Amino acid sequence: MATDTQPASAAYSMRKIVKQFPGVLANDRVDFEVHSGEIHALLGENGAGKSTLMQILYGQYGRDSGEILVDGQPCRIDGTRDAIRLGIGMIHQEFMLVRRFTVVENVIMGMAESSRPVIDLHGAAARLRALSKEYGLQADPYDVIENLPIGVQQRVEILKLLYRNARLLILDEPTAVLTPQETASLFVVLRQLVSMGHSVVIVTHKLHEILEISDRVTIMRDGRVVGSVETKNSSKDELARLMVGRDVRLRAEKSPRAPGRPTLRLEEIRVKDARGFDALNGIDLTVHEGEILGIAGVDGNGQSELAGAIMNLMPITGGRVVFNGEDVTKASPVLHHQKGLAYVPADRRHVGALTDLPIHRNAVLGRHLEFVSPAGMMDESRIESFSKTLIERFGIRPNSPAYMAGKLSGGNLQKLILGREVMRDPRAIVIEQPTRGLDVGAIEVVWREIIAQRDAGKAILLISAELEEIFNLSDRIAVIYNGQIMGVVETADASMEEIGLMMAGEKRIAGGEGQ
Amino acid sequence: MKILILERRLVPSDSALAIAVTTALSVLAALLIGGLLMIPFGANPFQAYYQLFEAGFATWRGFGFTLVKAAPLIMVGLATICAWRTGFAYLGFEGCLLIGAAAATWTAMQALPGGFLEDVPFFAFLPVVLMVSMCAGAIWSGIVGLLKSRFGGNEVITSLMMNYIAVFVVQYLVSGPLRAPGDLPQSPRLPQETWLPYLFDGSRAHLGIVIALIASFVVWVLLLKSRIGYELIVTGLNPKAARYGGINVGSRQLLAAFLAGGLAAVAGMVDILGIHHRLVDGLAEGTGFIGIVVALLGGLNPLGCVLAALLYAGLSVGADAMQRQAGLPASVIFIVQSLIILFVLASDLMRYYRVRSRATVVMNTKVESR
Amino acid sequence: MSEGFVFSVFLVAWLSAAARLSIPLLLAALGETFAERSGVLNIGIEGTMLLGAITSYLVTLWSGSPWIGLVAAMFVGLLANVFLAWMYVHVRANQVVVGIIFNILALGITSYSYRLGMGDVAGPQKAEMFEPIAIPVLSSIPVLGPILFHHSILFYLTIALVAVASFVLYRTRFGLQLRAAGENPRAASAAGISIVQMRYCGVLISGAAAATAGAYLVLVQIGLFRETIVAGQGFIALAVVIFGRWDPWKAALAAFVFGAADALQLSLQLYQIGLPPQLLLSIPYIVTIIAMSGMLGKTHQPEALMTSWRRE
Repeated sequence: MATDTQPASAAYSMRKIVKQFPGVLANDRVDFEVHSGEIHALLGENGAGKSTLMQILYGQYGRDSGEILVDGQPCRIDGTRDAIRLGIGMIHQEFMLVRRFTVVENVIMGMAESSRPVIDLHGAAARLRALSKEYGLQADPYDVIENLPIGVQQRVEILKLLYRNARLLILDEPTAVLTPQETASLFVVLRQLVSMGHSVVIVTHKLHEILEISDRVTIMRDGRVVGSVETKNSSKDELARLMVGRDVRLRAEKSPRAPGRPTLRLEEIRVKDARGFDALNGIDLTVHEGEILGIAGVDGNGQSELAGAIMNLMPITGGRVVFNGEDVTKASPVLHHQKGLAYVPADRRHVGALTDLPIHRNAVLGRHLEFVSPAGMMDESRIESFSKTLIERFGIRPNSPAYMAGKLSGGNLQKLILGREVMRDPRAIVIEQPTRGLDVGAIEVVWREIIAQRDAGKAILLISAELEEIFNLSDRIAVIYNGQIMGVVETADASMEEIGLMMAGEKRIAGGEGQ
Repeated sequence: MKILILERRLVPSDSALAIAVTTALSVLAALLIGGLLMIPFGANPFQAYYQLFEAGFATWRGFGFTLVKAAPLIMVGLATICAWRTGFAYLGFEGCLLIGAAAATWTAMQALPGGFLEDVPFFAFLPVVLMVSMCAGAIWSGIVGLLKSRFGGNEVITSLMMNYIAVFVVQYLVSGPLRAPGDLPQSPRLPQETWLPYLFDGSRAHLGIVIALIASFVVWVLLLKSRIGYELIVTGLNPKAARYGGINVGSRQLLAAFLAGGLAAVAGMVDILGIHHRLVDGLAEGTGFIGIVVALLGGLNPLGCVLAALLYAGLSVGADAMQRQAGLPASVIFIVQSLIILFVLASDLMRYYRVRSRATVVMNTKVESR
Repeated sequence: MSEGFVFSVFLVAWLSAAARLSIPLLLAALGETFAERSGVLNIGIEGTMLLGAITSYLVTLWSGSPWIGLVAAMFVGLLANVFLAWMYVHVRANQVVVGIIFNILALGITSYSYRLGMGDVAGPQKAEMFEPIAIPVLSSIPVLGPILFHHSILFYLTIALVAVASFVLYRTRFGLQLRAAGENPRAASAAGISIVQMRYCGVLISGAAAATAGAYLVLVQIGLFRETIVAGQGFIALAVVIFGRWDPWKAALAAFVFGAADALQLSLQLYQIGLPPQLLLSIPYIVTIIAMSGMLGKTHQPEALMTSWRRE
């Protein structure tokens, strides 16, 4: 916690910031203030606008309107150089470090500190050591980055900012990649920083951490600030409610339905991520016929590993995937198709579709062998009529099978991919982020199709970062946090607050999953 | 008076008109530079170009030469298409051409008195020599393909190196095993039964062009119409999506390697049996690389490849004629040939811009959403 | 004569030829190291070597001084690679394709220039060369003396260049920025480094070095020009860069190995071993293939090599 012996002053202030991207208003007249010597948390879900706001402060994006003040003076920030000059530093989720360089090389890279062409590594290393000692950030200047654990790499990023005399340090989801121990060390560092007069903004969705470390917290939702409170005066419940509560804009027509037999079962699935840490930590889930099981959670808590594990696109280090009684853990894509397990991947442009080919060639991806004549030629007339059927049934525009898939709008491309899988008449479908980046009209169409499939008796596993989507479509909701299922609830019985708490790692429902 | 300004788009235009315009401008720019290069030799560029195009395209005899030169270019172009569209960055076509030529020579030598193909009629000989050449070429390129798939080696440099080794293989063969009696490093003159027949009287155009055109058709059907072609193309476009679509990426990549070598080898066979009728050193003359250029200019499409090959072949024939008649070095045309494709590549940049009149811009600023 | 004497004569002849033959490879590789460290694969160095060769030949013939020929060659190399750098960095065309086509273009330009420059002159004209200089004292050391200390001035300059290259790459701000651009352009750009500038520098350095290598072929090795004078040494230099792990001193070692392979086939030919000469001639190329095949393990190339960079 900050120790301020001076009256808190607004060191950095953002007023009425507006930022529009095509199709979405990322920041809607946002006010945000950081005092010196405080740790200020910026809380919100994916798409709330918090990262955009900070990127504007750091000069990576230009703002459409509004002003930025430093110590009460309005300032121009046209690029990161300006921000750095004003004492603002930012550490992104993806570290901006050159893995093959040493710590000191990374720190001085790009700095025009002296006009001498020869770099003085010893001098820089000495200065770095002094900073290390002053702030309690242990890091050997001559260590190579790729040999260092993530926690230490983060310290290097912080040192980089301090070396450039940053007063304000913005950390974007800093604990996303840290173990609990590393997180504790980070918090010690942060407290040390503010005790020396620096200010810190941490952008996060983790409630317990906010309560543990921050002085104030500002909550954003849908591009607006919905609250700004002193942490000590608030509670997890209030924060959760502010974070997820929303006016529901879209509503899907769904009639209740009794689910049938268990179709897809995940038993104790474990997956390691690229760095060797557990991305999935023993997942148990069951999806039944005629039900939609929604997986809710903030992006980065294991969802993409989950889809990859089920479809055997990612190596599983433990557990089984059982489909209709058969073990399909190591099955090939061909086998999945044969057994009736379909998949709609999250990346529609780079994995789900072939953007340089026309619609008809995309329509048969995964099942092209069914459209081959005995001579080994692609049966163009059957492919054409199949594509036309698909186009008409799913309302794809433009409706010419020869149209390039890459030119389709996001919504139409999603319809193509979903339609292709649906037309295979599968028994189960794993769907990842189906409406990411789509407009309202397209969302409704995609939702209607997913519900229709559920009504037709398919088992559907829906992975989505959009809570609205989860609530509208799912019969049951499972929340994933940090690679584990926090709980599974019937949608009808679920409250936004409870889900929010689970998404933030706060609540766990006993028994997890099993039936 | 309209003021024209250059406006930058976000994505380059890919309308057919834009591509046609920029390609035409590229060709013209290259020809212009070629014309300038002719001046120091005392030639009149317009006259020289007229002679050039006349030599390659205006007479039956000249066009015959063009067809002769086009055939191996088409084959190498087809090989490039099969390799590159499947994601195999192969550059060893020149080597495969030489290996194919050597294999064809060996096969044709078996038709000499005493060989096992003696007295075999041409229509039976042709499929045999095609088979042998293609296999030899496929093995040559397959080495690089295997190195890539087994060990993950860089096929760019290894395939370039194989070109030089192929040259040495041919040199060795013509000084030793395949050498004709006598002192010259060359194979014996191949018997007439093995020569590719001429197509028309009054020109040197031989069956090679027919083989090349048939090959183009086959490649077109294979790549764009068959299941295997679909799998090859998908593998080249996006191996991740290919795997997701159930395609065996590894085996398709190996197939691409074999196709590349086999097709390029036929280029060598065509030259041996159509023009030279014996194996000598110094055979290749860069066909293995001009063929790549031809494929690129044709948009990595078999039909485009044929058209581009005809153009470049005609330019080559014209270059030879120009050199003989006007004393202009043929290298001027080689410069033009490489400038054309470089400008076409650079013209991608041109298509980022559009020419607008000032009035239209002001009007559209309010309407266009961005 | 004792066998030991014969062997040491062979050794001296072989290794001093190796040293000589490795220089053009080393020069081209040093320059290409800078290009690849900045993230660009410049296959056009083969063509640039050719351009350097013809320029140095014609200019030296005309001026009578190999130094002027050398400088002219470097200048031409720089000019040609400005165009290449533009194609790689601004047009963002495929680096391999552009390099290959450029090599064809260079051959055409070389041929044209030769015709233009030599015109009606009959018979090959020998150009002034850089004669070998024997370093006093050092060149008298048995065995090592003739191998290392009896070469042209360009040889000694090249060795010095290795040290300079190493210093620039690892001890200067420029070198750090160049390497950052080739390892992680996003991070480098975020730190304020201009990727465009760094990559242009890398390509231009490779151009000047390759042209100098071409000039060396003419002004030190033969004194004449032939269109086959380069014969793939530019491509072999690419392998030297990789074999040398993108480090100047290791590249020198790798270049020496390749030079030794090349010299070996020359020496073996002299000694009339019963192997076909073409097999021996293939040795450098086969060695390159083995080096590049991946059989010798994975290499750690600059992470952003061959990627194009666009400012977000």
